[in-house]
Amino acid sequence: MLTIKILGSGCANCKRLEQIASKVVTDLAVEAEVIKVTDYNDIMSYNILSTPGLVIDEKVVSSGRVPSPAEVTTWIANALVAH
Amino acid sequence: MEIFSSIISLLQGGLGNLASYMAAHVLLCLLPAFYIAGAMTALIPKGTVTRFLGRNTPKYISYPGSAAAGFLLAVCSCTVIPLFAGIYKKGAGLGPAITFLFVAPAINILALIYTGGIIGVDLAIARLVLSLAFGIGIGLIMALIFRKADAEHDQATDAMFAGQASMRRAAVVFMMVLVLLLMAGTFQLAFLKQVYFQINLPVNGIDQFQSYLSQIVPFDPAKGEEGVTAQGVLLIGLLILIGLTSWRGIERIHEGFNSWTWISIALVGLTLLTASLGLLPHAEGVTLTLSGKFFGVLISVSILGWMLRSVLTEDETRDFLWESWRFVKQIFPLLIVGVFIVGVLRMLIQPEWIEAIAGQNTLIGNFVGVIFGVFMYFPTLVEVPIAQMFLNLGMHRGPLLAYLISDPELSLQSILITATIIGRTKAWVYVGWVALFSTLAGLIYGSWVDGTSIGIVALYLIAFLAVLALTLYLMNKRSSQKATFHSTASTD
Repeated sequence: MLTIKILGSGCANCKRLEQIASKVVTDLAVEAEVIKVTDYNDIMSYNILSTPGLVIDEKVVSSGRVPSPAEVTTWIANALVAH
Repeated sequence: MEIFSSIISLLQGGLGNLASYMAAHVLLCLLPAFYIAGAMTALIPKGTVTRFLGRNTPKYISYPGSAAAGFLLAVCSCTVIPLFAGIYKKGAGLGPAITFLFVAPAINILALIYTGGIIGVDLAIARLVLSLAFGIGIGLIMALIFRKADAEHDQATDAMFAGQASMRRAAVVFMMVLVLLLMAGTFQLAFLKQVYFQINLPVNGIDQFQSYLSQIVPFDPAKGEEGVTAQGVLLIGLLILIGLTSWRGIERIHEGFNSWTWISIALVGLTLLTASLGLLPHAEGVTLTLSGKFFGVLISVSILGWMLRSVLTEDETRDFLWESWRFVKQIFPLLIVGVFIVGVLRMLIQPEWIEAIAGQNTLIGNFVGVIFGVFMYFPTLVEVPIAQMFLNLGMHRGPLLAYLISDPELSLQSILITATIIGRTKAWVYVGWVALFSTLAGLIYGSWVDGTSIGIVALYLIAFLAVLALTLYLMNKRSSQKATFHSTASTD
């Protein structure tokens, strides 16, 4: 089971990233928990400079932009292999 | 009946204001501004600037670096707060973080371009220069005052600021062409205003349409009102079409480009070209005038279109379109509502009131401008039409600048967020300094407008900064003496 975290205070880009991540998770039929992290202190603990950030299994894979579904798919696939 | 007719005239005021803000010359600055903001967010890799903000960077680099970051990276609140928290807790510390926090909203690229287009380039430049100078000043002061607390950082993690990313040359060129587009559309240069071709189109009825428009939205040029033109109506129509096509083409752009995406981009180009045309209706038809402006816009739009399709990567194009659209979606609706309300208010406020309070470049006038800016919260960009209303009602340009700097800078919401990151005391001390410096910015700029030579203005500025530096130096000395005394006392 993967843990996917969306870092962001709720701005438009964070919501969009959440949609994309959830969709990829559904499409791939992966067992994963998608968590939204909105507290600034928690967000800062991931050492990112701008939101939205995407964290898969506690590893930051992207920050400061909305990645495409294709990219997210690759990252999730890689994380599955690592499992 | 009386009430009814006054309501009608209020609504007309709102509509009239709305229409004049959708007019050609405003769109030529506003549309490129949104795309420049989008390009800055999407195409500048954050590492290019943030590598100057690490903990081990010397002060003379980290302060200007923070100011640059505020200008280049912080178009959106999504960037401001995390970057502020990052610089404060893990990077260069309180001073540069405060500089960043001050500079980011004050010279947000969208607001700066809009100020320049609507109120005047001099005010936009004053806003830029004074915000940069005072941003660094406030940062230094805060770092001095809270010197001790500043040492309690989180664990040093310079890795966060070690990015060495550089910008792709194509992206740089793309942004430069966007700036050219803005300049071609807005600069009042002779070769841009020169008319090269005139075409007479035998289209009847446009002059009647024009006089009908002037009837439903009456305007008074003496008050600085502009009224609605037939061209304006055409542009509003095009804007609505852009909105609709973008909703289908760009809202879902992360699932891939579709034909709506390209249609909406083509419509943006068409709108810019229409706005740069001269359109004069008369009894026999319409005269179209093609000036240097039109050709400038045509050339830059064509280059941009070609670059979007064949030079930028798919990721770059997608991020650029998405970020620009996001700005439009977030800001434009509020701007429209704001402009309408300003138009209504305009009918209610008496010029005498404004003139009495802030008609002159006085200390009180500037301070009132700042207080109004702090307590009133307007969405991004709406401060500009409000400022223009004040200007037309007789406000002096000095207090106007004081208002324009303090309004985006401080709102209850931003003070609260800042307080959660740096603590309440620091946040309120910061608020005090911002109020003081905005007042000062207004006074200095106002005295320049009133004819004081630039040398004397610079002298004032330097004298003030010298007094400030001296005070802080003395404070610093005294408290460090006390600190030494304390430490000796405790060792005893």
